[in-house]
Amino acid sequence: MTDSLPLDRPSPSSDGRTLEAWEVFRQEKEGDPMRHGGSVMAPDAELAVHYARELYGRRQESVRLWVVRRADVHELEDPDLLQPPLDRSFKKPGGYVMREKLAAARERSGQAKPKARSK
Amino acid sequence: MNDDVRVALDALLLSMADDEFVIGFSDSEWTGVAPMLEEDVAMSSLAQDELGHARALYDLLAQLRDDGRDADAIAYDREPHEYRHCRLVDHGRGDWARTVVRRFLYDTADTVRLDALADASYAPLAELIGKIRREERYHVMHARAWFERLAGHDGEPRRRLEDAVRHLAQDAGTVFADLPGEGALVEAGILNAPMADLHKRWLDQVAARFEAYSLPLPTAPPHPDARHAHTDDFRWLWGEFTSVRRLDPVATW
Repeated sequence: MTDSLPLDRPSPSSDGRTLEAWEVFRQEKEGDPMRHGGSVMAPDAELAVHYARELYGRRQESVRLWVVRRADVHELEDPDLLQPPLDRSFKKPGGYVMREKLAAARERSGQAKPKARSK
Repeated sequence: MNDDVRVALDALLLSMADDEFVIGFSDSEWTGVAPMLEEDVAMSSLAQDELGHARALYDLLAQLRDDGRDADAIAYDREPHEYRHCRLVDHGRGDWARTVVRRFLYDTADTVRLDALADASYAPLAELIGKIRREERYHVMHARAWFERLAGHDGEPRRRLEDAVRHLAQDAGTVFADLPGEGALVEAGILNAPMADLHKRWLDQVAARFEAYSLPLPTAPPHPDARHAHTDDFRWLWGEFTSVRRLDPVATW
């Protein structure tokens, strides 16, 4: 009874009487990204963490859980902002497609295509 | 190991295994009918943990006895009066508040008992206790969370909790009922203090929680009969948990 886990922290904004949804993120092993696992219904943060543990952690399938009140998540799903209709491929991290330009340059200089690097 | 120690160790293992087995089975009755789905899963999982601890303790007892009877035989092939669980877990699960109070009283008491066995000179027990303690830590957190919720909410939750505390008060400390031959266990370095001392330790630990919620601390010393005198609640439960086994005691499952 001497622990200081998040379970012991009071949840100030909850009256403990109504259930709400909590999103659970889990990490399978140290260093992995946190991935969404699912959700639980609970009246406050303390029980939400308990239930997250029961549903997403009791079979040793997780080394860390994050439990977030769904109402605290800021959502963006506007297609005008996320799926713009015009071609914006130049904004992608890969940039322009260079394959054909490179092949033409090799042709001109007579060089062979380098072999794929071994990993 | 001399005979006195062996007999006392037998009694200790049986009492602990029966405590875990009976409360585990009793709480498993909430499966499907707990107050909410998540809690249903949580309570069922706690109940399974307890049955797992019971199994491990029965296994250890079967090794100690070495008489050809396995954990299942010890768990299921006894008459109700031969079980040695304490009165606290002998009560039926009652309503949710009673289950919560019973769990809180039992889990906090069990923690004190496990702590007193953590450095047991009997290595197989010390090793098992180490594993059980890690799971019981969560059990205490869960029991405390619910205890505080009911105690801190006026109206029906608080009223039911007070009823449950009143109902269980007389048997609250029975985990620490005198164990036959416990002096030999203390001398052998298996148990680090007599049960009466553990009872005091436990009261010291839970006192603050009761005080914080203005609840009467259940200080009644455990009755010497506390592991022998069972109620009709338990005889009914026994009928349930042995019903399949008794269909065919020698069947291979």
